[in-house]
Amino acid sequence: MPLAAGAAGGARSELGRLWGTFVRNRAAVVGLALAVLVTGFSAAAPLVTPIDPLEQSSRSRLQPPDGTHLLGRDTFGRDVLARVIYAGRVSLLVGVCSVLLGGVLGSGLGLVAGYSGGKLENVIMRGVDVLMAFPSLLLGLTVLAVLGPGVFKMILAIGIMLSPAFARVMHSSALALQKREFVEAARAVGAGPRRILGLHILPNVFGEAVVLGSLWTASAIRVEANLSFIGLGVSPPTPTWGNMIRDGTPHLLNAPWLSVFPGLAILVTVLAFNLLGDGLRDVLDPRLRE
Amino acid sequence: MTGKLVLAILLTAAGLALAPTPGRAAGILRFGQNAADIGSLDPHFATGTQDRSLVDMVFNGLVRYKPGDGSVFEPDLAPSLPAPKTEGGKQTWTFQLRKGVQCHAADGVPAYELTSEDVVYSLQKSADKNRSAYAADYTGMTVEAPDAQTVKITLDKPLSPVLFFPKVANYSGGFIVCKRAAEKLGAAGLKTRPVGTGPFMFKSYSPQERVQLVANPAYFRGKPQLDGIDFRYMPDLSSRELALRNGQLEVINGAPDKAWVDKMKGVAAVKVDVFGVGEVAVLNLRTTAPPLDKVEVRKAIAHALDREEFQALFGRGIAENVYSPVPARFLPGGLTREELAPKGLDYPTDREKAKKLLAQAGFPNGFPLEMNTSEMTSYRVLYESMQAQLAKVGIHVNVRMVDHSTMHSLIRKDANPLVIYIAWRPNADVYLTQFFHSDSIVVTGKKPNTNFAHYDKIDDLIERARVETDAAKQVALWKQAQLRILEDMVAYPIQYQNQVYARSAAVDYGHDLVSVLALYPGITEKTRLLK
Amino acid sequence: MVRYVAQRLLFSIPVFLGVVTIVFFVVRVIPGDPATAALGDYASKEAVEALRQRMGLEAPLPVQYLRFLGDLLRGDLGVSLITGASIREQITHALPYTLELTVVAILIGSVLGIPIGVHTAIRRNRLADYVGRVLSLTGLSVPAFYLGILLILLLAIRFQWLPAVGGGGRDDLAETARHLVLPALTLGLVMTASVARLTRSAMLNVLGQDYVRTARAKGLREAVVRLRHALRSALIPIVSITGIWAVSLVGDSVTVEVVFARPGLGKMMVGAILQRDYTALQSIMVVYTAFVVAINLATDLIYGWVDPRIRH
Repeated sequence: MPLAAGAAGGARSELGRLWGTFVRNRAAVVGLALAVLVTGFSAAAPLVTPIDPLEQSSRSRLQPPDGTHLLGRDTFGRDVLARVIYAGRVSLLVGVCSVLLGGVLGSGLGLVAGYSGGKLENVIMRGVDVLMAFPSLLLGLTVLAVLGPGVFKMILAIGIMLSPAFARVMHSSALALQKREFVEAARAVGAGPRRILGLHILPNVFGEAVVLGSLWTASAIRVEANLSFIGLGVSPPTPTWGNMIRDGTPHLLNAPWLSVFPGLAILVTVLAFNLLGDGLRDVLDPRLRE
Repeated sequence: MTGKLVLAILLTAAGLALAPTPGRAAGILRFGQNAADIGSLDPHFATGTQDRSLVDMVFNGLVRYKPGDGSVFEPDLAPSLPAPKTEGGKQTWTFQLRKGVQCHAADGVPAYELTSEDVVYSLQKSADKNRSAYAADYTGMTVEAPDAQTVKITLDKPLSPVLFFPKVANYSGGFIVCKRAAEKLGAAGLKTRPVGTGPFMFKSYSPQERVQLVANPAYFRGKPQLDGIDFRYMPDLSSRELALRNGQLEVINGAPDKAWVDKMKGVAAVKVDVFGVGEVAVLNLRTTAPPLDKVEVRKAIAHALDREEFQALFGRGIAENVYSPVPARFLPGGLTREELAPKGLDYPTDREKAKKLLAQAGFPNGFPLEMNTSEMTSYRVLYESMQAQLAKVGIHVNVRMVDHSTMHSLIRKDANPLVIYIAWRPNADVYLTQFFHSDSIVVTGKKPNTNFAHYDKIDDLIERARVETDAAKQVALWKQAQLRILEDMVAYPIQYQNQVYARSAAVDYGHDLVSVLALYPGITEKTRLLK
Repeated sequence: MVRYVAQRLLFSIPVFLGVVTIVFFVVRVIPGDPATAALGDYASKEAVEALRQRMGLEAPLPVQYLRFLGDLLRGDLGVSLITGASIREQITHALPYTLELTVVAILIGSVLGIPIGVHTAIRRNRLADYVGRVLSLTGLSVPAFYLGILLILLLAIRFQWLPAVGGGGRDDLAETARHLVLPALTLGLVMTASVARLTRSAMLNVLGQDYVRTARAKGLREAVVRLRHALRSALIPIVSITGIWAVSLVGDSVTVEVVFARPGLGKMMVGAILQRDYTALQSIMVVYTAFVVAINLATDLIYGWVDPRIRH
């Protein structure tokens, strides 16, 4: 049963119960901890590492990891650890913002389609079908190839890519909710469509949106890494995990640390959001709880 | 069930992995080039290294640069180098053609003997801006064929041999194409189907994958030792390196990087060659773009930069510092550090002085600049290093990374106030004319070329040097012109970058490597694979 | 069945048209002029003008669009803006590398993923299940290109078992196969992870349902219950999952081809993007669309074959 609006017994105890379910799921707690850690590290990057990620020293380029430069130095003699930490900023920013954009855009379309029905629903959902039938990475590549590189453009491209998936899920939720008693009851007492959508349907699909958001943040970070790897990401010298791997590949044989560590960062971050999403689903969507 | 399936798949994979690589023709040299694809195999449009090296194997010139040493001219299609004559007040050069030189057969055009008709056709094509990228180098030149074995070239203005021979040598516009094939194939056909007289003949082209060449048994210097060339497009360095180590390639374009060179030198059965000519990286400062219109600002930039820092990006020996736009190491007319240091024109790194100069010019806190760089490594690292160095004196450069050809078109539209340009030009005249003559100013010049600085103060010196037939006086004029450039700080010469290639120890090029204009080791009829 | 197939085929057409239309319009909103972007270096104004004519950029957008559709109908994919070579020829050359890669990877993904999923569902909460879940979640989180780099480091550099890069000559089957192993394994493992994970939850769903309990109660042997009843009804979601991941794998194949320098469609596409060869980019996307639509169609058909009810 989705998170019921205005459930009896007070919101506080309900939240407490949910939190209790969540902390019993060890994987989810690990995911949350990792996600908080990664986000905290990159947000507070200057406090975590005193080294400037842009400071070059070409005379000591490609030095392997040692005591002062724990993950070694890159082709410009820049500290790889500092760059990995700062790179998280772009990846997380793009991951979270594109999901927010995609979520708002997609959920909006899906809910409107589900609630309004008729021709509008048909048009929206056929469009969604078309976009869904296609690998998002390919469309993202084409869109970015045309727009050119940049953080904002990347958020736009990935956000648009993700929106049909949100639309589809929200559409079916809205359809299912339409038939539920409390919505029918609201309609019977003369509540307008806007009121029903805002007061009854939206809060009920919110939990689902959070779960999807978490899982798709993971996908968005992966997509960002792919795009940066191809060279369509942000401009130098700003580090991202994807462009660090890309810059490291020519040195795979003599300096593998250039590519291996940023890759691990992607892996850990994406894993964190996947674990977190799984955990949230178990908590917020008991139908799927095993 | 799962276990068995997994096992079966693993076994199949292992079986495939262990299967021996089947044999191939022993005399094919497999060459991994750092490019995604051809640009154009029409020699008069072949401007990229990947294209220059291929057309070098397929075509000849009237004269040629000695294989492995670009400072010496040798006979090629002409059996001897002529001396200039003066007829009716004009300078003429008369070439005899070697007898029995065969044009390669092409689709629908059987092999035939090359005559002066082909040479005239080819040089006229080079002079036609619709059919050649080098048309500007061939203006004021008349080519005639008095008979089938003779070609006579008349120049409106006399040239010294140093400036004339490059126009008819095996480089750029000097490559001789075969007329019948060229006419049959047309401009579009020539792009992917080179037909010449060289030691190797075109066999096939697979886009983004490879070009195959076969030995020309009728080559006038004798049948090549190799059976053919398999020229692969592999823009990824580690791919090329692995393939060389695993014996899947014989020659690869390496990385201009000392770390890489040292590592490869340690690999058994692999040899590394580092040789010239070194392409020169020069920072051009646009004198018409505020705040760069102030000479103090330009000098501040020069003092803020550190050649050693740039050099360390590649390593000593791979990159070497240069102090004048014409590289003294390779060409007459260049200036050395010793010649410049007494005048302070070597611009030693001095960031305090740079800040003072900026303050004098009214920019005590520096200023921002916007520019574009190619995504190609050799450009990118220079721009990114410059960005970090200039930040230290308060000049904040925002660099946008674009595709290589996009950068080329953007800088020709004055998109960059600071332009780093890496190029080889065959002599001081071409360097100075293309980069510093007012006709060559981008956007506004009469014949816009690569004068990114919008500089117009040395036209007379360039023009006087061009027609000076006394070699010593010519060199003196070139040096004088470059002193002006440095005094006005319109160009900060950074470094030259040598060519780095690695090969299997079985490859014998057949010549020593000193400097090669085509920027590859040079593969001739004498190149062979040792057992 | 024939009616079902026809119906699915008909449904594919609007999807194909939809994506192709989106691609066409996306490419037309390039800032600046594709002709100038394409010519670069030494281009004169006349040359740019000539190319604009040749590309048909002078015509109004709707006319260009109709021409584009007409060309597609005739199978004409245009010529490269950079080399002037026929794009159809280039694609014909590149496509086999991509087809082999994706098909083998999809096979690896299904052949490994489904049994692992079933197995871990049955062994729920035992060691095999935990290991399987951790691995599949990791597989779900690793970008394919990074897994490819790790496999290169391990299998091609450390042990030198397999060639890391290139496509292998077309004329030599063993060579082609050897070059296929690493990239196909990379993509296959990524897909295995997701398929195993979702198969597991589909199986768990079914194993908890009434009729399975009934079958068990009737005293049928456990193995028979699992395979005949449970797997069969779990098969529909499994097919749909496999289909979805097969499509997403096509996207991942682009970066994997780049990592392994495989001369396929993805590498061609990245090349076209970097060279600003928009005609090529557009045509490559058309071919990808056709490929993806074919995968979706195949999924639908397998659906119908697995579950006769769907056909009606």
